[in-house]
Amino acid sequence: MTTLTVTQNFGKGAKDIAVYRKLGGYSTIGQKLFDLSQFEMIDLVQRSGLRGRGGAGFPTGMKWSFVPRGGKPVYLVVNADEGEPGTFKDHVLMQEDPHRLIEGMILCGWALGVRTAYIYVRGEFLPAIETLNAAIKQAYEAGFLGENIQGSGYSLDIYVHRGAGAYICGEETALINSLEGFKGQPRLKPPFPAVSGAWASPTCVNNVETLMALPWIFENGAEAYAAMGTPKSTGTKVFSVSGDVKRPGVYEVPLGTPLMELLESDKYCQGVVGKLKGVIPGGSSSPVLTVEEAAKATMDYEALAALKTMLGSGAVVVFNETRSVVGMLASLTRFYAHESCGQCTPCREGTGYADRILKTVVAGKGRDGDLENMLSLADNFSYTTICPLASADAGPIQNFIGKYRAEFDAVVARNPEHADERVTPAFRPGAFW
Amino acid sequence: MSNFYHMPVLPKPDAKKVTINVDGADVEVPEGTNLVEALKTIGIDTPHFCYHQDLPVSGNCRQCMVETDGPRGMGLAIACYTPVRAGMKVATDRSSDKVKQARQAVMEFQLANHPLDCPICDKAGECSLQDNYMAAGRHESRMREDIGKLYKGSPEFRHEDAKGQERGGKHVDLGPTVILDQERCILCDRCVRFMRSVAGEEQLYINQRGDHAFLSTFPGMELKHDYDLNVTDICPVGALTGKHFRFRQRVWNLSKTETIDPFDSLGANITVEHNDGQAWRIMPRRNPEVNKSWISNRTRLEYQKLSKDRLTAGSFQKAEVPLAQAVARAGELVRGARKVAVVASGTLTLEDNAALQALVAGLDKKAELFSGSWAKVGSPDGIAQSGDPVGNRLGLKLLGISENLDELVARAKEFDVLLVAGHDLWALDAQKAKALEAIPERIVLSPWHDATTAKATLSVGVRAWAEVRGTMVNCQGRIQMLNAAPILPSPDLEPVWQVVSSIGKLGWTSELDAYKAAQAGIPALAGINYRGIGSQGRLLEGVVA
Ligand SMILES: Cc1cc2nc3c(=O)[nH]c(=O)nc-3n(C[C@H](O)[C@H](O)[C@H](O)COP(=O)(O)O)c2cc1C
Ligand code: SF4
Ligand code: SF4
Ligand code: FES
Repeated sequence: MTTLTVTQNFGKGAKDIAVYRKLGGYSTIGQKLFDLSQFEMIDLVQRSGLRGRGGAGFPTGMKWSFVPRGGKPVYLVVNADEGEPGTFKDHVLMQEDPHRLIEGMILCGWALGVRTAYIYVRGEFLPAIETLNAAIKQAYEAGFLGENIQGSGYSLDIYVHRGAGAYICGEETALINSLEGFKGQPRLKPPFPAVSGAWASPTCVNNVETLMALPWIFENGAEAYAAMGTPKSTGTKVFSVSGDVKRPGVYEVPLGTPLMELLESDKYCQGVVGKLKGVIPGGSSSPVLTVEEAAKATMDYEALAALKTMLGSGAVVVFNETRSVVGMLASLTRFYAHESCGQCTPCREGTGYADRILKTVVAGKGRDGDLENMLSLADNFSYTTICPLASADAGPIQNFIGKYRAEFDAVVARNPEHADERVTPAFRPGAFW
Repeated sequence: MSNFYHMPVLPKPDAKKVTINVDGADVEVPEGTNLVEALKTIGIDTPHFCYHQDLPVSGNCRQCMVETDGPRGMGLAIACYTPVRAGMKVATDRSSDKVKQARQAVMEFQLANHPLDCPICDKAGECSLQDNYMAAGRHESRMREDIGKLYKGSPEFRHEDAKGQERGGKHVDLGPTVILDQERCILCDRCVRFMRSVAGEEQLYINQRGDHAFLSTFPGMELKHDYDLNVTDICPVGALTGKHFRFRQRVWNLSKTETIDPFDSLGANITVEHNDGQAWRIMPRRNPEVNKSWISNRTRLEYQKLSKDRLTAGSFQKAEVPLAQAVARAGELVRGARKVAVVASGTLTLEDNAALQALVAGLDKKAELFSGSWAKVGSPDGIAQSGDPVGNRLGLKLLGISENLDELVARAKEFDVLLVAGHDLWALDAQKAKALEAIPERIVLSPWHDATTAKATLSVGVRAWAEVRGTMVNCQGRIQMLNAAPILPSPDLEPVWQVVSSIGKLGWTSELDAYKAAQAGIPALAGINYRGIGSQGRLLEGVVA
């Protein structure tokens, strides 16, 4: 029986505070916590080895240690924007166990001296927003939020902020701009949010799942958490598995679990439907794995990095031989072209340009050299922008075309004129107006 | 959009120097500034679009790439947002192929959806896209004609052209002064930042995202601000153009004369741009201590008055006379007078006023010097105007000329000759000016036909501010140069000091004689010649506390 640190209350009706408390919830919010200094609390998280579950895998305790003290107010912002294609864990987590998130926020809030916290929820998640608001209301009534929590003298307020469903608003600085009421576009860094984020104050941005791991860590100790997973990727991780598997869904497994175990085990996905063709292991931005690579992969940050891909948000997308990778890449390039915030020239013009080339190819009008152009464009916009969205588009372009080249060439060859000499733009007098 | 609070740190003349390594050579650059500025101090230009010295850094165009050393070795970074650090290594396109390729790549993206309609674009010749293409692009197009471009524009302006291609927004009227070509916009965000952080009224924004983004005003709103024409200067491409200048001239045909705005006591630094004897536009000239890179629309449009209603001859007893004759007659009147009232003016240069002073001194007890202004004084707008329309008010004070115009009104009956230069008294306060009609002979020196020349018994046309060389002292105590653009409406026109010199037989032959006279009256000017004033002016010691 694997230990569950985040999803243990699933299916138990823990939305209701009474049920949640009966299951042991909010037991961490008491004297034991308030006797700890902020330093000890951060140290605990550092020792647990917990890493951010939002995508980048940055060590959570280390991020907290960057937050300056004693100056401007410190804000905690929960990243519940969950926009990465393939990812749906945060939505389920908030729906099933909202109080665990609140409890995690109180723990983090105490560690960083936070007075005001926000949960930035993707706009489409209406049921989750209702669930959260109901849970927050209950927590206020039970004295876990608001002034003087459980007589400790510590006060914390939580507000739910509804986004408008832009993928880029999941990037932490775009999220902060959006929270402040500006257009959701990433900021230049430095300064990083931990130093100067919302309203130019220190701001800790953490993913829903990251915070929801805290109550277990606090209760069972950093060492117990660090004992799970691999030495560098400790603990458990929640994966959103979708695509051609028998039982897609949200599964929590220790980090380092073999990918194929996640896909084939009866406890989890119960096997692939049809003949496996490839797996996207960590959300649409992570480079795709071929069948051979998938067989070798274990689900932890280091092993996936060694395969030149990443764990990302833990969104596993499985596809079988009946799927067209050209079509898959076409939907990804359309997604990124649509979601580019448009400030950086390479991302703005490049993601759209690459998408239009691929659309032409898919429409049977591809020409020799189009794929090379796409690859070269992807190279050119992957290292020159403010945020990683452009590289997140370049990755799939390079990997899908690189790993399934024959299939792409076949689609280009559907155009009977694909090998004809390329038409170069000519001077077109009078075409300007 | 983001980071609008990060103003660039610009190199101060007295900044401490640190050593950095650029393309393999150790060089000294000012501490604390960004790499675009630091490289500029050693003569390396970095191509850029979105960066502007007087706007918050946005870092969105990605054109200014260099390589710098970091914990993971050399890596690309934007020069406009990378601070100088002692001992840092920098590689530009001169030594790094990666930088060269990155800049070329950005250039290609920049042009991918650009209409390339330079032949009909007003910015051609001073366009950053053209310049940077030559500096950092020069790539062959890889566009497929049948894929086409995605032109930018609001949904309401999208249309199909003769070739069946969907087009974006052309000549969109933004308000009273500016026209927008959405297709040409490269979304550098400069104009948005200008309106937000300099003008202080957010009137422009970038609508939509990705390559569908386009610049526009807010729905149902206009671009309308006293400074809005500055966006046409900072727009690196031909997306924003001023209605006053659009399609009037090709910019490469224009010559530039550096001068200042004399109708505001801040003395915004400008260039008057002209050809064929006519001024076509006024552009701001950057002076970090005065007007930064900005001028008001009022300043910018002053050139339009230079060719309207000009007084190019003299008139005597309602009849037009040649200038020379009018000047001679004025001399006779003044010398033959019983008592002369001479009115100096803060809209004229130190040279002109020194001449008026010398005229009065030469007439001994027979003449008295007055000055002052009835123009309304506003308050500083915090951008490029002090609000005081009397440009050289401080200069007059330094010359020891007192503001006693109302006293002249009270004592008008004592005089039989009045000499006014650089004032439209009857326009500013006809009521008060009426008292001056008691003086039988009224000599008016003016560049324009105006309400005051209408009341003159003798008027003499003179050169206007853009046609003279001279100096003014702005409200900060900074002496600044006016220079003469070759745009005289009549070759016979002379500057005020020269006319006055003829009237008073002062024998001055150039503005230097006049300047020397001013120097004699103002100790702070000792040792400062025209060259020493330079193009950025010179702060006079101890003049303003
Ligand atoms: C384009 C982009 C989209 C992102 N979307 C999300 C998201 O939906 N949810 C999330 O938690 N983090 C997202 N991130 C990562 C955040 O920027 C940030 O690293 C994370 O919220 C930090 O929390 P963590 O340390 O707990 O993972 C995104 C990053 C990028 C560049
Ligand atoms: S890389 Fe793309 S999404 Fe990210 S800031 Fe730049 S334009 Fe916006
Ligand atoms: S209109 Fe000009 S200044 Fe404004 S964003 Fe476009 S290119 Fe930049
Ligand atoms: S000038 Fe540096 S990014 Fe635009």
